[in-house]
Amino acid sequence: MSVPSSDIDLFADEVLVDPYPTYAELRELGGAVHLPANDLYALTRYDVIRSALGDPGTFSSRTIAFNPMANEALQGTSLASDPPVHTQLRATLTENLSPRALRGLRTTIDAKAAALVDELVAKGSFDAIDALARVFPLEVVADLIGFTGHVRENMLRWGEAAMQVLGPMNQRTVENFPIAGELYGWCSTVTADDLTPGSVGRGIFDAEARGDIPPNTAGHIIHQYLGAGVDTTVAAIGNIVALFGRHPEQFDLVREDRALVPAAFAEVLRYWVPIHAWGRHVTKDVEIDGATVPAGSQVALLLGAGNRDPRHYENPDEFLVERNPVDHLSFGYGPHGCAGQGLARLEAHAVIEALATRARRLVVGEEVRVPSNTTRSISELPVVEVVPA
Amino acid sequence: VKILADRERCEGHGLCADTAPEVYDLDDDAIVVLLHEDVPLELERKAEAGARVCPVAALRIEA
Repeated sequence: MSVPSSDIDLFADEVLVDPYPTYAELRELGGAVHLPANDLYALTRYDVIRSALGDPGTFSSRTIAFNPMANEALQGTSLASDPPVHTQLRATLTENLSPRALRGLRTTIDAKAAALVDELVAKGSFDAIDALARVFPLEVVADLIGFTGHVRENMLRWGEAAMQVLGPMNQRTVENFPIAGELYGWCSTVTADDLTPGSVGRGIFDAEARGDIPPNTAGHIIHQYLGAGVDTTVAAIGNIVALFGRHPEQFDLVREDRALVPAAFAEVLRYWVPIHAWGRHVTKDVEIDGATVPAGSQVALLLGAGNRDPRHYENPDEFLVERNPVDHLSFGYGPHGCAGQGLARLEAHAVIEALATRARRLVVGEEVRVPSNTTRSISELPVVEVVPA
Repeated sequence: VKILADRERCEGHGLCADTAPEVYDLDDDAIVVLLHEDVPLELERKAEAGARVCPVAALRIEA
């Protein structure tokens, strides 16, 4: 059987803004669908995507991006390498990000979220993206890495660009390469003295000075934290507010039972995935749902399509905070599973807890979305009224 | 069934212990600890559920 084909362009503006109808169409065509417009095979079903993520021998990470320039730039990083090389790089990267390493941060992060949400509830109305989703992760990551000043002012722009340039060589990618280059440039020249004493960023340089990690790797590790951890978290936190605003009865469930906070975040991630598509390179002919995807192909893992696969989740298009879909695909899975997921959970759980404690209802207006190659996020979300708890 | 835990790969996310606290725990370094050498029959399904949610695929069930 040959692989089904579709003339859909995954990176067209209207698909990027609202990909779910397209995901449903592709998923019904097959677990793997050839997309000549993007010169790749899209993987669409839950089991197919999860198996690919768990099989780095067949699905190599050497082309996680969709243009050769970005893939070239990523060579030598944990993100773009395969086992066994990957194993050591990953260990270095996660050393400071493991839940153990982050244990001490929890109290600070919870307090920051509480203070910020207090202020917003007191105002009565605010833009959830500008005043919360962009502010909070930036504060957390600035403290973590220990940067201030002009770096802080640029970080949202830089973080967004770092994700945009992973797309195909379209106008968005071309325009963002110079901005992503500013981030890379800063990370290549930053030194221990530029970072706040006691920060994790400073600690990475100390580890380099001690010889615990190879020479000249500290800057690259920091680059990966910032490239991967800013834009995605902004998206997830914006989505929390939007979905609680749209589904007050689901927000009520969380308000009434705080034990649901982790489940609610997992459902937010499942329902609206922060990352559209992630690439893999097929190293040998592989059979998917009875059709052969040839060696040498580029693959796009459609994480959000898998998250809405009715073969895996009952009523997948419903947003249900009690579902607890711990096995959602939004963080990936396996050897390359999101290295920052522990920090993402700390941040998101803190925000949900703070909202559930202080607000009874979030009345939201129309959300504005701007197409983006890699991250799907809301650009503007008016919270027109907060009903205090 | 037996559980195979790759302690090198474990990063301490703790989802196994949240899902099946009767089967999995975390030590002081937040690395997975198996509470049963051989999983009792009545806990097999829980053991499988806990292994399944490991985000970095550090747990495997062997029949």
